[in-house]
Amino acid sequence: MTDKPNFLPERLALLADLNAAQYLTDGLLSGKEDVPAIALNKTTEPLPHDGESRAELDPVRALVEDAMYQFRDDRPTAADGWLAPRLHAALRLTRREAADRRFWNYLALGVAPDYVVWRHLAAKSEDAPPKVAARRFRGPAYTQAFARLWWAAELFRDGPDYRPVVTMCANQDMLNTALRVDVMDHRPTALATVRLMERGTVRTGREVNALVAAINASAATLMYDVVAPDAARDGKPLREWIEAAESAPAVPRRDLPVGPYEEKAPEQSVDVLVDHFAEIFAGAPVRGRPDADEGTGGEV
Amino acid sequence: MRAYPYRRLPGVVSLRVTAVELRGPDDIRDPLDTSAFSAVEQVVAPGVSERDDWEWLRMTVEATVPGRATAPDSPWTDLAVVVVLSEGATNTRITTALAPGAEGGRQWVGHLDLWRADHRDRASMSVHVVATVDGVAGREIAASTKDWIVDLKSEAPLRDRELDVVEVGFREGPQWLRGFHEVPWVVDTSGDLPVVHINTDFEGVSDLVGGNGTSVDNMVRDLLIAQLCTDVWTAVFHTAIGDLEIEDDGTPLFPRDWRGEVLREMLPDVVPDRPVEDALGEVHRRRTGTSGWTDLQPRIHYAATRRADVPKALSTTIRGLDSIHRGADA
Amino acid sequence: MDFGPWLARQLKQSGMSQADLAQRIGLTRAAVSAWITGRATPREETINKIAEALGTDLGTIHTRTADTLAGLPVSWYHRPGHADGGREFGNAAAFAFEADVEVLAREATQNSLDERLDLSQPVRVRYTLHELSGEALARFRDEIRWDDLLPHYEAAAQQDQKVGRMIAAGLSDMYERDRLVLLRIDDYNASGLTGDDYETGRFAAVVRRQLDSQKSVSGAGGSYGLGKATLWATSRLGLVLMNSTLSEPHEGRTERRLIGRLDLPWRKVEDRPWAGPAWFGRPDPDAENGDVARSWWADEESTERLHLTRESAEPGTSFLIVGAHDVASLVEGTDGDADVEDDDSVHRMHHRLKEALGRNFWAAMTGGGKQRPLLEASVRTLRNGVEVIPEARVDPRETQPSRTRALQAFLDGTTVDRMTDSGQVAMATVPLVVPGRADRGNGGEHRAVLLVTEADDRDHGKPNRVTTMRGNRMTVKAGWVPGLPVGTNPFQAVLLVGRAAGDDAPFADEAEAFLRAAEPPEHDRWGQTEELRMLYSPSAYRRIGALTSQANKAVRDLVALPKKSRKAGSERLRKRLAVGGRKTSRPTPVAGPPTLEELDARIDDSGAWCVTAEMKIPVGGDSWRPAPVAKLDVRSGPRPVLAWSELVAVHNCEIVDGAIRFAPGSRTATFRGTTDVSTHPVRAQFSGLVVELRADKGAQA
Repeated sequence: MTDKPNFLPERLALLADLNAAQYLTDGLLSGKEDVPAIALNKTTEPLPHDGESRAELDPVRALVEDAMYQFRDDRPTAADGWLAPRLHAALRLTRREAADRRFWNYLALGVAPDYVVWRHLAAKSEDAPPKVAARRFRGPAYTQAFARLWWAAELFRDGPDYRPVVTMCANQDMLNTALRVDVMDHRPTALATVRLMERGTVRTGREVNALVAAINASAATLMYDVVAPDAARDGKPLREWIEAAESAPAVPRRDLPVGPYEEKAPEQSVDVLVDHFAEIFAGAPVRGRPDADEGTGGEV
Repeated sequence: MRAYPYRRLPGVVSLRVTAVELRGPDDIRDPLDTSAFSAVEQVVAPGVSERDDWEWLRMTVEATVPGRATAPDSPWTDLAVVVVLSEGATNTRITTALAPGAEGGRQWVGHLDLWRADHRDRASMSVHVVATVDGVAGREIAASTKDWIVDLKSEAPLRDRELDVVEVGFREGPQWLRGFHEVPWVVDTSGDLPVVHINTDFEGVSDLVGGNGTSVDNMVRDLLIAQLCTDVWTAVFHTAIGDLEIEDDGTPLFPRDWRGEVLREMLPDVVPDRPVEDALGEVHRRRTGTSGWTDLQPRIHYAATRRADVPKALSTTIRGLDSIHRGADA
Repeated sequence: MDFGPWLARQLKQSGMSQADLAQRIGLTRAAVSAWITGRATPREETINKIAEALGTDLGTIHTRTADTLAGLPVSWYHRPGHADGGREFGNAAAFAFEADVEVLAREATQNSLDERLDLSQPVRVRYTLHELSGEALARFRDEIRWDDLLPHYEAAAQQDQKVGRMIAAGLSDMYERDRLVLLRIDDYNASGLTGDDYETGRFAAVVRRQLDSQKSVSGAGGSYGLGKATLWATSRLGLVLMNSTLSEPHEGRTERRLIGRLDLPWRKVEDRPWAGPAWFGRPDPDAENGDVARSWWADEESTERLHLTRESAEPGTSFLIVGAHDVASLVEGTDGDADVEDDDSVHRMHHRLKEALGRNFWAAMTGGGKQRPLLEASVRTLRNGVEVIPEARVDPRETQPSRTRALQAFLDGTTVDRMTDSGQVAMATVPLVVPGRADRGNGGEHRAVLLVTEADDRDHGKPNRVTTMRGNRMTVKAGWVPGLPVGTNPFQAVLLVGRAAGDDAPFADEAEAFLRAAEPPEHDRWGQTEELRMLYSPSAYRRIGALTSQANKAVRDLVALPKKSRKAGSERLRKRLAVGGRKTSRPTPVAGPPTLEELDARIDDSGAWCVTAEMKIPVGGDSWRPAPVAKLDVRSGPRPVLAWSELVAVHNCEIVDGAIRFAPGSRTATFRGTTDVSTHPVRAQFSGLVVELRADKGAQA
């Protein structure tokens, strides 16, 4: 198995896509080789916030190791719900910073390639040897191993409250589809979807996919931003939360961390959407659900 | 063609930015000159201000909506006009409702605040008219067709983007460039925008490309630039076509960033006489299909050559050489 | 003139005997005789009675410089034909203009501006269109002695000249359609038609000499010169009546000085030749033959009957154009010769007058700060005395919103140094080095005021111009600013030079005088003129070119986009590497694929989308085999495809394996389809449907 890098600098860094490419070898992707850490660290660029505490590498590495240890006997997917909020709280990034793919490239290749292999090594078919898809190391935010967790936490937290993130990550289909669609950029929509999962209205991966597809299609004619307005965006709590990183203790391992004290999504807006989504979900076909397979259609 | 199960509002909905004010720490308020936002280009460029300490900006916006939206006998009630600002790269979407202004409900005005930490590159801004129709609330009945752009990277409010040109010595430069130290340039298409790296270790290249000398020098320069551009457009076309999102039925979608622009510009030369949507499907099918796409390569090369204005540069050079020879003979 | 001879003359002219007068004033004939022979003079109270009896005022009796004209009939006096038989085909000036109310509005309003009396107040100009018909028209005709005029009109209309045809059309409009349009132009706070009937003065300039200019302000832009001819040109009957309230008394009076003037071509009536003009007034006893008429002081009733009543005693003039028309507004496509006027012509004229006033006088109509506008203008329309379009002030903010905003901000003192909001007006000053005059004095550096503001879609005229004006606030020119970078926000700029630049501007009077000398009679530019060469120097005009380029530079500084900071790579290379916005023209494909032309979609009872789609097939495109595809619109990402539960050919085609086969040679075809509800990701009610024809080349037979 791919191991912990044999060289870890003190600070996180940026790794350009092109530089990352040379390390995505077959050996790494099949979990047989390590990343040449010293060479890799020569090709990095420093973070813009290099001087701040949140640029320290150790806390992130420790978090990842704890995740692998805690879920060593479990399915690795179970670690997502644990790691996502804690990674988010440990890194304390702005969206502007998080949109830089080089940051995630470095995390995957320079800090924790062993985690990426542990979490994403999978066999495509029974005959083929298991392999990690290259885009788990270097790829769009919705597939990259760490970016997807961070964005899940960013889009599904309710201000300082990470609980919806845990629910959301419990369903891999949710994690895979929700980050691909723009509708989840509207916080009440994201939270109402989680609420339907909590209620058990949607349970299986197919149901989640059907729900997200129905929301995405209906959002072409319905402006959920108007039906269910969110609180006005305010950047100050986030800035204060990031500044507080200098004096913040390590991310709690047992309890959920506390996010930036942004205003929570208006309860009424979430309620309105919960009812509305339940209604459109009831009318949507779900693969494997009897009424869809019969193909009779008709009003539900 | 599209159809909706409710009445939509015909006519043009347009958006206008009328003022931009930067806000910084200690409540700094710095109104930008109107030249920082262009109504022609529909771009706002806060970078014009040359100050880097701002945290958020407030835009004053004005939307114009067809008059019949507010006509007493219209099928629409609870009319709302909202401005949406979004950037895909940061999954950020901000919505602001406008208030009716003067001119009998046609003008709607309001503010939209953008937090700098929420955005990376270009955010787009559109206006939507929303109403209750047949008892269904929140229907979008009209929207603006051309987005405004808030460009956080540019120092001028222009819609076109120039590819980045970086002059760097490859031998001592970034790791990945060192392997290319004997070539004059390399195109990197992996970032937000393609970057052309010009190798300063290749003696004379950057002087030639940037210079202005004798007529022979200039002919060579123009030919060289044409060659360089051919390389660039070939590379960016391949990058753009290689990373497409595919619809359920196999139809590829146009990317939303520079890749989409490049494809729209070049596809008509790659697959002529077809709408660009069809052309994109055609190229994608060939690229991923079993028969391969080697037969398309000449067409891609043709498109890049045209895009780089090679025929013009070359014929100018040939004519120039002719006249030089005639001068030498005389 | 002594009182005796003067009184005798008045009695003679009015056909009154000494006894008649004595009776009216309650004295003896002997007393009257004693005054006339100079043996006695009447007492003050008696003079009052004499004035009353003669229908004149005390001033006239005391000064005795004019006749009372009491009792003489008001009627038409035509100028007889020249003894040498020379013919004039009408007033050359009057017919040099095509009837165009826009030109009229410009010239007449400029005259009013030039004649402004109290310079701290605006001159008020009101245009009234009044359409008469039936009873009202008949009464008006009686009042202007139409029966006396008619033979002259008929004779003039016989002539095969442009004038003749115009008059003929005017007559037929009046008789066949029973309508006559009066256009009245009133100004208030203006000088009025002062001065003697014949000698120099405004009255004579307007009424007698068509080509003269009599101006009170030397800096005037228009004149009572050629411009006044537009009044007659606008009348298809060549007829204008006037009522003036004078700012300086004439014959001891100021109010209701009336006269009419008719311009006709040479004609023969009752075997006598008549030269062009005729006047409507009282005969002049001093004239050698009695065939010249002069103005008269009318009473209120007859003024009212002539539609000439003014609203107050404020000085100014009312011009009543009889038979007003507007060739320029006639609908295109109608026969120009026919001069057909329809029922809307009055409405159109009203609209065009308002437009023209707003466009030409927006600057004069703009006030701000302590400065009142130079001009207020309004337009109204009546039909037989009833208002059909109420009087409305012309608001320059409607026709020239951005330029008006710029000037107003300057007058209000609310301009800014740099624009941060679209509604703001930026101000800069631009130097004009005024040369010293050749004969005396030195020049100096005048600072012209440059104003820039964002253009407005409602502006008349193109954006990115500098509109230049001096103290009279008439636009001299609107010049385009060269060298603006791509993406510059559209703007309007106003350059105020000379007295327009405000009281504080240095060398304003010198600059004003300099520019006046540089302004040709057309008032459409500043440049080399004979006057400029004489008064200043042969090269003085170059100062104007310098002003223009300085102004353009200042505009660019205010509006131009900031230059991008220099990056690596030559400009030449970077330009070639721009993404987006490149438009390359390519030929349109021949025999392209069929396209959807019409889409009729509804949701049926089962919740499925039912569509009927009509396709257009280009020539030779019938071999395509497109497959109709139904999808749902989404907020983002790929669109889900709906399956068809039914796909039926309706017209000119058949459906084979989900693809359409067209009947050979067909140009349109129609199909019907119903979607499979079980494939809907969401209920149709919440969806937007997209129907496409997938026409891959591989699908082409």
